[in-house]
Amino acid sequence: MLESAAHVGLQAPDGPLSLDKFGAESARIGREVADGYHRYHIDTEEVDDVNPLPHRFLVTVGKVGLAKLITKEAMTYFRPWDPHFDVILSRPCTYGVFSGPLGGFIPRPKLCVGCLRCEVQHPEFVKVLPNPELLKMGDSYTTHGHIAAIDEEAKKGMVPVRGQGYRGRFGGPGFDGMLTDMSEIVRPSRDGIHGRELIGTAVDIGSKPMHLSFDSDGKLSGSTPEMFTIQVPFVFDLPPGDLDSPRLAKVVESTSRRIDTLACLDAHTVAKNRLDAPNVVPVLDNAEAFRASEFPRARLIELRSTPDRPWGWDAGGFDLAREVSDAIIGIRIHFEEGWQDRMTKAVESGAKVIHLLADLHGRGSDGTFVTELFKEAHMILLEQGRRDTVTLLGGGGIVGADHVPKAIISGLDAVALDLPVLFALQGRSNGSLRQRAKVTGTLPRELDREWAEQRLTNLCGSWRDQLLEILGAMGIREVRRLRGEFGRSMVVRHLEDEAFEGIAGYVGGGS
Amino acid sequence: MALLQELMDAYEGKIVKPSDALLHKTTTLLQDGMNARAFGEFEKPEALGDARWTDELILSTWYMAETGKVPDELNFKTGESDGGFDRLDFQFLQEDDWLEHSDAIDTKLPLNRRGDGKNEIEIDIPWYGGGMSYGSVSVNVMMSRAKNAKHWNTLMSTGEGGYPPELYEVKENVITQVATGYFGVEEETIQAAPIIEFKYAQGAKPGLGGHLLAAKAGEEVAKLRGSVPFVSLFSPFPFHSTYSVEDHSKHLDWIETVNPKALLSVKVSTPHDVDMVAVGSYYAGAHIIHLDGGYGGTGAAPEIAKKNIAMPIELAIPKVHKFLQKEGVRDKVTLIASGGVRTADDIAKAIALGADGCVLGTTDLVGMGCTRCSNCEGGPSGRGCPWGLTTTDIELQEWVQQDWGSRRLDNLYTALQWRLRDILRKLGLSNVRELRGRTDLLSYISKEAGE
Repeated sequence: MLESAAHVGLQAPDGPLSLDKFGAESARIGREVADGYHRYHIDTEEVDDVNPLPHRFLVTVGKVGLAKLITKEAMTYFRPWDPHFDVILSRPCTYGVFSGPLGGFIPRPKLCVGCLRCEVQHPEFVKVLPNPELLKMGDSYTTHGHIAAIDEEAKKGMVPVRGQGYRGRFGGPGFDGMLTDMSEIVRPSRDGIHGRELIGTAVDIGSKPMHLSFDSDGKLSGSTPEMFTIQVPFVFDLPPGDLDSPRLAKVVESTSRRIDTLACLDAHTVAKNRLDAPNVVPVLDNAEAFRASEFPRARLIELRSTPDRPWGWDAGGFDLAREVSDAIIGIRIHFEEGWQDRMTKAVESGAKVIHLLADLHGRGSDGTFVTELFKEAHMILLEQGRRDTVTLLGGGGIVGADHVPKAIISGLDAVALDLPVLFALQGRSNGSLRQRAKVTGTLPRELDREWAEQRLTNLCGSWRDQLLEILGAMGIREVRRLRGEFGRSMVVRHLEDEAFEGIAGYVGGGS
Repeated sequence: MALLQELMDAYEGKIVKPSDALLHKTTTLLQDGMNARAFGEFEKPEALGDARWTDELILSTWYMAETGKVPDELNFKTGESDGGFDRLDFQFLQEDDWLEHSDAIDTKLPLNRRGDGKNEIEIDIPWYGGGMSYGSVSVNVMMSRAKNAKHWNTLMSTGEGGYPPELYEVKENVITQVATGYFGVEEETIQAAPIIEFKYAQGAKPGLGGHLLAAKAGEEVAKLRGSVPFVSLFSPFPFHSTYSVEDHSKHLDWIETVNPKALLSVKVSTPHDVDMVAVGSYYAGAHIIHLDGGYGGTGAAPEIAKKNIAMPIELAIPKVHKFLQKEGVRDKVTLIASGGVRTADDIAKAIALGADGCVLGTTDLVGMGCTRCSNCEGGPSGRGCPWGLTTTDIELQEWVQQDWGSRRLDNLYTALQWRLRDILRKLGLSNVRELRGRTDLLSYISKEAGE
């Protein structure tokens, strides 16, 4: 007992421990352990809107029709001895759309949830319409639905919960074509209400040796783990397009520190704003690899291709960066032609972190979706017997909480977030959101740092909690075990082939 | 002063049980408004509907619930989800070969196929009402459904929220659900039921358990669940007493001891090994295997779960049907499908894919006015459904009166049965049981053809 007390760093009592002191001493140790206990958790807190989304619905009320109704009801129901105010003043909305000072004459559409009771009850003069301003947000991949979900998650930090069943299309392209599995009996642990309480979301960044070697004296020889741990399987990636700015970099940096993850930031921004920190990943052009020494606190530095060698592998830059820095040097690889070869060469050269990048619709240059690309990358390393020696980060097309576990199932260790940051901070985009370099958007003019940090923290808290839901349903206790677990996913196309095979007209392959 | 106070209360919208005058006004307006929309007197509300339940599907359900007939002008058969039931169609015979539409087309479904001396239950239509707990819905909604179930010689499940005393009036048609929180599970409620349903998981939130928000756990709800009023309630996942199929068997043995005649139904979700789960349930003693697909309804569920966890019912049915056949036990167990079954066409397609029958939930609610606005769990008002369906709010729950609700469902079921018979006769079948597993009678509308 005392050994274990010492083991956890507690003060052992003077002298031998007698039986009568045992209980009190045990309690003291228990208390100290409890006081020193820390369970990872993201503290979320609802924050106000600075640049609210257009509300979901528009509500129009015909003033003449309403006046006629009130008059008619007053004449029908009012009696001096029993005025029936409850009837005359009753409103067909429980959400307060018609509860402003002037009732239905000046409705409050921002409170409308689209139940349509008012429109059904008074079809002559009430109309509820989907708000076109909201519908036109985003683009064909990152839809207004994604943006609204991110906005809600960043505002409240909670898992979006609603009544009624699923409202969308059956399966679909990209991530929508993948379902996650569940177990009827197994759960992560038998502790707690749902067993989700003890699920771990920490992931390791870097390299684990495939085996340990010992010398004749029993001492460890050979390679040792070269890695560190972050608490969530997602990191912030470089802001796409024209969104990069010092004020955004500062918010992303402080948020990543707060939730114990990483923020990939342009190395020049890091240097200029003195943001070098263990949670910051400076991203350098390969040609500037020598500058890696300028970031002594960084645990991970990423190199990206120089523009003149987009598909090649420049071992020189990598070697130089490794020489001048103690940080793990990661390589950013776009899913362009020949990426497999480039990744293999990078790993053979000693790269411990590969950061894979698709376009923001989740497609490689040949149109393949990231679930397939991540899987291919994972399988290449697996077949080479190197998978645990490399961390795979990946990004592109990750705009919903469900995309995180699906990307990890596809083979990633952790996911990189790009566009969600923009929408979590109530920024607005213009035009297509496909090409990273061409994204244009605006952030709120007054980007209050505290507000912005809480919004991003809320988003991360919500996405982590939703990841816990997925893991809990599967009975998986830590996210590390989800990596590459294709068997815990179901592909709608394959299920359809199995279910509809032989039915006239079904030709398979998502026809 | 009293008048002034009354005026102020009315202006502020104080929540009280509605007066008769208010009840009359509101229900009349709602019911007339639904009919006006369903009968096409006004254009379709632009904000109504979604890919699974389109505006036409909702309005046609209202039409059927009012008239007992299928509409001519509205699509009452399919949604626009671009897959599953919405891409399946029937290969009808040439019109000359159609059977006459008549009551002689048999829609009965026997539920006990084990020949084990337990209740021999045969329902008149191949579907029954899914579990919606007291608390998630009001007594008025529960009783509307239960009375209709009695009228149609079918069944309705309590869901996990206890057994309101009113239900004893129709207990022969009420399934008692035993779920992981054991809310309302008592010796009397097990002994009262012809069927006991073990809910392992729910399609809309597979593997996640349930959560009744505090606002909906009022005095009456708490009393039936043996809990403290206005404290939120968790129904954990999974059964904390079940680690294996042997433990599952133990559960069923327990029920058999308390009610030796009751049939045993096992409600499960649709993971990749749902076929193994089904066979395991059969060998544990289940009479009914109830699959609840991923697109099923709920009073509250994380959005991430509804869309992503487990498979849609259309894909699970054939998997389980074929595996039960392979194991040689298909004719000894009743396979029931739910979770996204909306229409008579969906029911027929589910049966053609391999189910014996279906469970309806959302369809019943839509019949009573639901617009699928997704605020069942309380919404921003915290009061629950503004239509009076998924709420125990003392005012809102009055918008659905039992006689009206059961009449609507009666009409709806009349139309559904009519359409089911219509499908059967056009396929040349005189008995719904002949349709099971007949995928040769289905066709798939490819995207090219559909477009």
